[in-house]
Amino acid sequence: MPAPQPEDARLAENAHAPLEISEVTKVYPGGIQALDHVSFRIAPGERACLLGPNGAGKTTLIRLLTGALRPSSGRVRLFGLGVEDPDFLQAKRRVGIVPQSPGMYRDLTVDDYLQLVRDLYGSGNIPEVVEAFGLGSFRTRRMAELSGGMQRRLSMAAALVSSPEVLLLDEPTVGLDPVATREVHTFLRKVMPGRTVLLCTHNLAEAEALCESAVILRQGRVLLHERIATLRQRIQPVLVLRAAEGPERLVEALTAQGHAPSREEDAVRVHVKDAVAQAPELLRWLLATGLEVYECRVVTPSLEDLFLDVVGTDDARA
Amino acid sequence: MLEREVRILFGKEWRQLLRSRGAMVTALLLPVLLLVVVPGLQMLGMKAGLTRPVNLPPGLVLPRGFREMAEDPVAMMRAMLVPFIALGGLIVPSVTASYILITERESRTLELLVALPVRVGQILLAKLLALLALASLVTLALFTIDAGLILFLRVGSPGFVLALLALLLTSLTFSTTTALLVSLLARDFRTANNVNGLLIGPTILVCFTVVLAVPGPTVTALLLAALFSLGSVVATFVALKVVTFERLLR
Repeated sequence: MPAPQPEDARLAENAHAPLEISEVTKVYPGGIQALDHVSFRIAPGERACLLGPNGAGKTTLIRLLTGALRPSSGRVRLFGLGVEDPDFLQAKRRVGIVPQSPGMYRDLTVDDYLQLVRDLYGSGNIPEVVEAFGLGSFRTRRMAELSGGMQRRLSMAAALVSSPEVLLLDEPTVGLDPVATREVHTFLRKVMPGRTVLLCTHNLAEAEALCESAVILRQGRVLLHERIATLRQRIQPVLVLRAAEGPERLVEALTAQGHAPSREEDAVRVHVKDAVAQAPELLRWLLATGLEVYECRVVTPSLEDLFLDVVGTDDARA
Repeated sequence: MLEREVRILFGKEWRQLLRSRGAMVTALLLPVLLLVVVPGLQMLGMKAGLTRPVNLPPGLVLPRGFREMAEDPVAMMRAMLVPFIALGGLIVPSVTASYILITERESRTLELLVALPVRVGQILLAKLLALLALASLVTLALFTIDAGLILFLRVGSPGFVLALLALLLTSLTFSTTTALLVSLLARDFRTANNVNGLLIGPTILVCFTVVLAVPGPTVTALLLAALFSLGSVVATFVALKVVTFERLLR
């Protein structure tokens, strides 16, 4: 069989999903099962978040993707290559990884570490990432002497030194103060477009702001992998109403109309199938009954609502 | 030929070791005492005529390994060189392994390494090589002084020096493999040091038992070298088959 031409090779390379998990089960020594027949693939250019309650298996999954752990059964592939494949490192060089709050070396400087990263990736522009992440005045500083926010910047800079096509982000803002969290989000918004991303996070607002699809894990199993926009369609939008007469009168009126309203402090929430079509009609009817409704707004379900709907409130607390 | 990743990681380990004053001082201090100061002073003392024949009560039955020593002070010196050289080879790797593996585990910096395009085996191999490089460099440099003194002062033959070299290299290998195993198993620096101490104690006891039981320091050194080789094989087998890298990440 003739060797593939460069163009063919490129096409063959692109035929594989950047990240692919097939029927993966992971049982730790001692019999603790972290993952149970997990399967999903992240398509090129997809920005997905990996969500799940504590102990759902998110970190195990990220470690399997980095090759740090081996699955008990099933296959984990980066660009079609598994960790046992001799060319696995070629695939790993196309992936930048931000680990979950890693430790920092006491005896290596920022420059030493970025140099190590560039050497291992075989390419990269250190001055560019140093500039992009504002690390210029810290290059000779020992890594462990950096503040939490600067350490996270360094982790992101290291993941981006070689301009990888894929980013794996494991809880990139966990443990950071709001200012540092906002900084990280700003950097991520800059670097994520055009890349394939898997963001493992507990912060649902962060996932919603940065990702377009979600993989939800519970007890080591994938509950769903869908676009967030599609997920939103699963839950009816909510109308939030406030009236001068108080929430009790609103509840009475809405119940008489055949709705199932719920109180939330001084407001009343009611689910509707089609907010655009139903809200004006409902508002007109309430005003006609003499209620002085001074607020009527449509709330689209947040990712948190979707998550709780899929996982269930009890499991989400787990 | 080593893989590119292993060479790069080795450079990182080596740089960190050289920058760690604590690890370097601990790695150098005891071997200098065991391999140079104590045996060197003894040999120089003998050269200056400060040694005397051992004065034993008449009729005392000595172990086989001690019979020659009772008659010849130089034989006593040769015999005592064997455990000292073995100890020199045992000390450095255990201290250094604790530093390069346990410290990395305690400070959670392994997460940084596994995120890079390297294999887990390459990380361990680079650490093992850095450990062996430092231990070999320190102990072989110090042993050269011993070997020079042994030959110059005619304490032993070239064959005896070669037997001691074999003993040093095998004790180094044994200590490196067991220290790596202990570092993989131990949760923290303190536990690793305690377990290393527990392992070295019986090992020293075995060394002195062989010295007492086996006549002739060359044979003693070679027998101990064989025992250390066997121990290295067992420790490596256990490390590869029983202990996994996953322990370090948990």
